[in-house]
Amino acid sequence: MTPVITPIMLGQVIVSGLLAGALYAMVALGLGLIFGVMRVLNVAHGPLLMLGAYVTYWLFSTLGLNPYLSLLVSMPVVFLIGVALQRFLVRRVVDAPELSSLLLTFGISIALVNLAQLAFTSDLRSVEFITGSFLIGPFAFSKSRVIACLFAGGITALAFLFLQKTRLGKAIRAVSQSREVAQVCGINVQRIHLFAFGLASALAAAGGTLVTVMVAIQPEMGAVYTFKSFLVIVLGGAGNYPGALLGGLLLGLVEQLASLFLTTQVNEAVAYVLLVLVLLLRPTGLLGGRST
Amino acid sequence: MTTTTKRIFYQGGAVLTALIAALTLGAGAALAQAPIKIGASISLTGTYAKPGTYQKEGYELCAQEANDKGGVLGRKVEFVVYDDQSTPATGVRLYEKLITEDKVDAVMGPYSSPITEAVANVSEKYKKVMVSPLASTTSIFKKGRKYIFMVISPAEVYLEGLVDMAAKRGLKTIAIVNEDTLFTKSSAIGVADLAKKRGMQIVLQEAYPKGNTDFSALLTKLKAANPDVIAASTYFDDAVALTRQMKELNVNPKMYGVTVGGDLPEFYDLLKQNSEYIYGATQWEHTLPYPGQKEFMAAYQTKFKREPAYHSAAGYAGCVIYLEAVKKAGSLDADKVREQLLKLETRTMFGDYKVDADGFQVAHKMVMFQWQDGKKVTVWPDEFATGKARYPTPPWNQR
Repeated sequence: MTPVITPIMLGQVIVSGLLAGALYAMVALGLGLIFGVMRVLNVAHGPLLMLGAYVTYWLFSTLGLNPYLSLLVSMPVVFLIGVALQRFLVRRVVDAPELSSLLLTFGISIALVNLAQLAFTSDLRSVEFITGSFLIGPFAFSKSRVIACLFAGGITALAFLFLQKTRLGKAIRAVSQSREVAQVCGINVQRIHLFAFGLASALAAAGGTLVTVMVAIQPEMGAVYTFKSFLVIVLGGAGNYPGALLGGLLLGLVEQLASLFLTTQVNEAVAYVLLVLVLLLRPTGLLGGRST
Repeated sequence: MTTTTKRIFYQGGAVLTALIAALTLGAGAALAQAPIKIGASISLTGTYAKPGTYQKEGYELCAQEANDKGGVLGRKVEFVVYDDQSTPATGVRLYEKLITEDKVDAVMGPYSSPITEAVANVSEKYKKVMVSPLASTTSIFKKGRKYIFMVISPAEVYLEGLVDMAAKRGLKTIAIVNEDTLFTKSSAIGVADLAKKRGMQIVLQEAYPKGNTDFSALLTKLKAANPDVIAASTYFDDAVALTRQMKELNVNPKMYGVTVGGDLPEFYDLLKQNSEYIYGATQWEHTLPYPGQKEFMAAYQTKFKREPAYHSAAGYAGCVIYLEAVKKAGSLDADKVREQLLKLETRTMFGDYKVDADGFQVAHKMVMFQWQDGKKVTVWPDEFATGKARYPTPPWNQR
């Protein structure tokens, strides 16, 4: 019943997988930042993505603003929301056992989703901005996905440069490695926490903005990205930032290849099987990192 | 007896008599006035909020009209509705509450198959008749339940029209895709059965998980299989995503049909001209020549200031059918009403009603429409068609 798989089909699917993977990588990097710096498992990551998507939607429908330009708005807005969440809520569980942070962020995620349902209703929204695909030889690449991948790649690259080259970025990495020693070195850990949470939220929001042209926008849209981000973090190694990139691309590839060679029905299951395998064989993740 | 004792005796006696008189009269008056309370849990929030709210409006309109006509069995009809938040477990809890705490006289069904399946156990436990107007999964009604009744057509026949039209045109190959949940799975199985009976070859049949947004691999396979017809058992967001990605990957079947979601005005709002030529299935259209359509449309428009969706129509019809059975039975007794519902054969503004011994709907017919110039044109079955189907669907790059 399944048609014969040609190299062209394979190529098409591999590229699709990588395009999707870049987006996962960017969103997961945010989650990884929060875990790496604060040892907090942020279940509210998906809802933050959802907020970014809604900012873009409202700007598009009221002002007609190009969704990609709205990145300049959605990222800072959600950055501030993230900072506020950290300052008033998440800060209290930074030193607590991981279950506390899970419970708190779970509560935040429920609150955010329900606030969104009250404010925006569950009506499905969408941004009709760019459709169609780039046709290169026998391959067709969805325009919206290619552009999303380019932006995601760019933003992730900038984030990495920031982490590697700037003082603040190095301070964040220092706090990730050891909070006590960083404090002794004179780094204001509280501010780092605020900033890292804000940055992570901004990355999630960027993901939300980029998917507005591809998927239906509704308050519960973030949940699937929370799960995928967790998968990516474990795959790549918790607290390992390049690991998030590798994990994201790997997840995107695995999903599409599983859909092609098996059936789409099992692509989620295959991702989780991969997760179990990685945990069994290399529990610190493919690139190594702190064990969760 | 002493004077004090006598006073207590007489005064106490007077108060007691007055109390008893008041209670009896009051109770008598209350009983005569007590409305028939019909309980239901409906999805007013969560993913099913939209269709759930439409269903509630149907119930409310039905109750209002019944009361305007003097009520049922001399009593007013009153709905007690709670929000099950689109969650089966919450629905179960709420029906328990409605039946045991609120002591409702009757219950009506919630929105969607999964929630109906879950709460049907509750209504069966307490032997309460439950007309379930918005559940289309056959298995719910084939588990030996005695008090549950179906109103709409089952999932298996949703795309019957698509297969019939394709077979009549001599198309040979069909691909079936579906979301991996209760209703859409049943619908896909139904399409497969119908296609096989008509001698069509199923070149690909695949499910995708709920919430799946990237169909590239699936569509790559579909493109390679090159079917004449693509039958997609979908809800709303997957129908939209699938359509968009079909265009992106240039997948061009001669006929492409979807289930739930394709009939919503939002489908056209989101896809605009990309929704042209797409076939959809619907349980009801207000243009169908059923009795009472105009009156229903006018009443709904007056009360809710917009046009009804089929969920409202189904809710309304379900309630009307239930109250009809109550009138015929002359009581709210579950077994008497059940007897009437099993015997009843009628045509409401929603279509035909007749159930088999399990309460499974056997008379109601789906209709298929096609998006043409931004409007839904009914194209199947022939007796209700208002226009001809535009065939074949032209390739994406030629539109």
